[in-house]
Amino acid sequence: MSDQQLQNLINMINQIGANNLHHDDEHDAAEMVAGHLKKFWARSMKAQLISYADSDGAQLSPVSRLAVERLKQKR
Amino acid sequence: MLNYFDPATEGLNPNRDYGTPAQLSETLVALSIDGVDIRVPEGTSVLRAAALAGINIPKLCASDNLEAFGSCRLCAVEVEGRRGYPASCTTPVAEGMTVTTQNNKLGKLRRNIMELYISDHPLDCLTCPANGNCELQDVAGAVGLREVRYGFDGENHLDAETDDSNPYFSFDPSKCIVCSRCVRACEEVQGTFALTIDGRGFDSKVSASQNENFMDSECVSCGACVQACPTSTLMEKSVIEVGQPEHSVVTTCAYCGVGCSFKAEMKGNELVRMVPYKGGDANHGHSCVKGRFAFGYATHKDRIKEPMIRHTIDEPWRAVSWDEALGFAASRLKAIQAQHGRESIGGITSSRCTNEETYLVQKLIRAAFGNNNTDTCARVCHSPTGYGLKTTMGESAGTQTFDSVMMSDTILVIGANPTDAHPVFASQMRKRLRQGAKLIVADPRYIDLLKTPHGGEGIHLPLRPGTNVALINSLAHVVVTEGLEDQEFIESRCEPKAYTDWRNFISEDRNSPETLEMITGVAAADVRRAARAYARAGNGAIYYGLGVTEHSQGSTMVMGIANLAMATGNIGREGVGVNPLRGQNNVQGSCDMGSFPHELPGYQHIADDLVRGRFEAVWGVTLDNEPGLRIPNMFDAAIAGTFKAMYVQGEDIAQSDPNTHHVESALKALDCLIVQDIFLNETAKFAHVLLPGSTFLEKNGTFTNAERRINRVRKVMPAVAGLEDWEVTCALSNALGYPMHYNHPSEIMDEIAQLTPTFTGVSYDKLEQQGSIQWPCNGDHPDGTPTMHTLDFPIGKGHFAITEYLATEERTNRRFPLLLTTGRILSQYNVGAQTRRTDNRQWHQEDLLEIHPSDAELRGVHDGDWVGISSRVGQTVLRAKLSDRMLPGVVYTTFHHPGSGANIITTENSDWATNCPEYKVTAVQAEKVSQPSQWQQQFRDFDKRQKEYLEQADQDATTALK
Repeated sequence: MSDQQLQNLINMINQIGANNLHHDDEHDAAEMVAGHLKKFWARSMKAQLISYADSDGAQLSPVSRLAVERLKQKR
Repeated sequence: MLNYFDPATEGLNPNRDYGTPAQLSETLVALSIDGVDIRVPEGTSVLRAAALAGINIPKLCASDNLEAFGSCRLCAVEVEGRRGYPASCTTPVAEGMTVTTQNNKLGKLRRNIMELYISDHPLDCLTCPANGNCELQDVAGAVGLREVRYGFDGENHLDAETDDSNPYFSFDPSKCIVCSRCVRACEEVQGTFALTIDGRGFDSKVSASQNENFMDSECVSCGACVQACPTSTLMEKSVIEVGQPEHSVVTTCAYCGVGCSFKAEMKGNELVRMVPYKGGDANHGHSCVKGRFAFGYATHKDRIKEPMIRHTIDEPWRAVSWDEALGFAASRLKAIQAQHGRESIGGITSSRCTNEETYLVQKLIRAAFGNNNTDTCARVCHSPTGYGLKTTMGESAGTQTFDSVMMSDTILVIGANPTDAHPVFASQMRKRLRQGAKLIVADPRYIDLLKTPHGGEGIHLPLRPGTNVALINSLAHVVVTEGLEDQEFIESRCEPKAYTDWRNFISEDRNSPETLEMITGVAAADVRRAARAYARAGNGAIYYGLGVTEHSQGSTMVMGIANLAMATGNIGREGVGVNPLRGQNNVQGSCDMGSFPHELPGYQHIADDLVRGRFEAVWGVTLDNEPGLRIPNMFDAAIAGTFKAMYVQGEDIAQSDPNTHHVESALKALDCLIVQDIFLNETAKFAHVLLPGSTFLEKNGTFTNAERRINRVRKVMPAVAGLEDWEVTCALSNALGYPMHYNHPSEIMDEIAQLTPTFTGVSYDKLEQQGSIQWPCNGDHPDGTPTMHTLDFPIGKGHFAITEYLATEERTNRRFPLLLTTGRILSQYNVGAQTRRTDNRQWHQEDLLEIHPSDAELRGVHDGDWVGISSRVGQTVLRAKLSDRMLPGVVYTTFHHPGSGANIITTENSDWATNCPEYKVTAVQAEKVSQPSQWQQQFRDFDKRQKEYLEQADQDATTALK
């Protein structure tokens, strides 16, 4: 995994969250993001992001952090 | 009695000219022509009625794609009880009419007319290019012309000079009979109004613009005039050169998503000319400069004619047999998977190849590679359409036929430039605009559609690039707050909760045009005017292009468009709808055929066990239930070292994808790149295996156009390297140990029909019977579905989606104060690999940077100066073209030439939902420079070296590749 690749994944998940955050409802947005990742992201991308969230996660937005938690449950 | 209830479709022969256009009246009128009783729709001309009765009245100025004109008088007839000899083309039928089409008087009258024509016409029939296909000659024969009593010495036009300026056709006015068919075709069929009759009486002559030659005039070289000409005055140069064709085959154009039907007119295996086919339901006998004329690339000397391999990209190619090339590719793929894992390889299907070929490539990846790392160029163009329309309306496709526009009252065009990118449909739109439909254009540029002659005044909403969602929200805000919604539609057809949430959101003051004016730059009053024009139209239709999708909020915008259409009830009948204009010939098809990593053919999700089970049963393998990598993810993984090999069919990612530096790094990181293409494209320069592709003329299959219409592609000449593209994929699969055996693409379509619920009724037999089929075609819709969502949506109720506007991260600042947006032009197609290898290059030899005069002045830039354009990811140099089509602060270029490096400057920013790149918004600086950019210099060196490697591959090819 390269830094650039991880950085892109972080940007992507944060962007999905930002585009679906409506009236600051982080839980709704997180549910949507988790569902989106499950449906559209490759296995390796999800795994990289989860391992980042578990080890550091500093760059994840609050919605993204919630979303990763839900993604883990959905797996 | 003969009855013609629906003359537009029933029992007519598309190869015959019925003289005047069909009338659609349901009232039938009975008359008798030469003793034959016939009933035809009210308004039909006597000429057409006679033709329908099988009686051919001689004619020269009439043609059934043009309104009757009545100038040649050859079609004169006698009508019982009426005086004189009226022209049958301009005489409508009347109840009880009795018509005589031939007697001594009429015969003499016609001979006299022909005598006058021929007295001023060269008698060089034997050496004339039209010999064998000349209406003037045919009519002279039909009327029995035997002498010209006036002689040939009087004043005449025989010395008129030929205009050879157009590369594809010549204009020889010495042969012109001034029937005005060319002028009327330019007006009525094409809508350009470039031609006129200059002078009066004997001085009358056809003139392009104001006595200019064709190339310098407003002519767009669509060829409608050439097709309309009854003599050899306007004639294809290819016919002048080789003579009249001897057979023809109906097939489908491989350029844009309109998918025009053509007759490929042949001599043996040589294509003489392409003539648009009147029986084609997408184009009704019209075409553009690309489809009609730009086919020479198929026989260009640069075609790759044999398979080639090499170990690294720094060594010459080695021409080998198909077996060796495929064996080499297969062993490399297997070795890479053994070392780096099953997911370390993938592929890209082509949106230029057929449905059957695309289907096989994704099948190869899923079944033989054993992963779902498949994607297609729709990723970089219409993937947001798939996401957005599926979320809101349940199906990833446009809702209408092209013909539907003829019922539209207001046409809203967003981020599309149809006159350049979808020219044949643009002609139809213009026809409707001339009939009085209103036009609204939301685009940063003042596109040519706004300048439609006799089209009325359009509303232009010149928004700032990147603010689409703000604009569509403000339009919807007006609809909701001014009570312009279609409550009945919403209540009966849409989910109530999602609608209420959306309505509350869109009504908020932050979505009003007055608040958003600051962001979009569009005056609130204009937004209100446009919203009312669309919502109150009766029939409001939305057409959109890549100016909608290629943004960081591309998917949001598509949903915003669907919201607007549903809120106003503009869904589910003719004249309305949401219509994505597809870029490449088979983008719709490549998406339908399961090219995306998460979807099997028919947009069926890979994680659905039931769906996957059906595919597994037919394909005989176990499929991975997780989505695979998309193109940008493949690039990232390649650079990271986990993705090692790619099979790319008919797609030039090195030129077309954004941030070229990044793409090149990814391609260089691959251990095995297999490229299948007709030319050494930019991507092939990074390849290890080069497999010769076949053009649309060299294979059988189907393309699906932007209106979901499946059209047949028919082989007219053998594939240059012996194999059609689908056969190559089969051979590669067999080499990998996963057997694929089909005798004909029709067998592949049968498999598609078996596995795809929207295709169950599709077969080659049905295509032969119907000509074309619009999917869904299944038990519920046995003949296909011209208009979608008439009763309900595939998801039941329509789903309003909340569409928050979020500014893109790509913003102007002091360093990069301008916004670059990209697009294309009429004469070139996509990466230009085809059109650059035709005479179309005469219209567009290089990509230019269009810059507003005030921005140019600020930088001391003049027309034609070299300008360096830098973004945060790269720099390139283009020549400047001063233009006020954009607002100050916005610059524009095209990406048709690889050396231009337009994608050196575009960034990896992308749509949040689909990763579709944000091509339409890049913050840049432009400044005057004196030399090409560093990348361009490297490009030239690399290009030169790679071409040399190809030359060394085969001595036979050496002379051909200079």
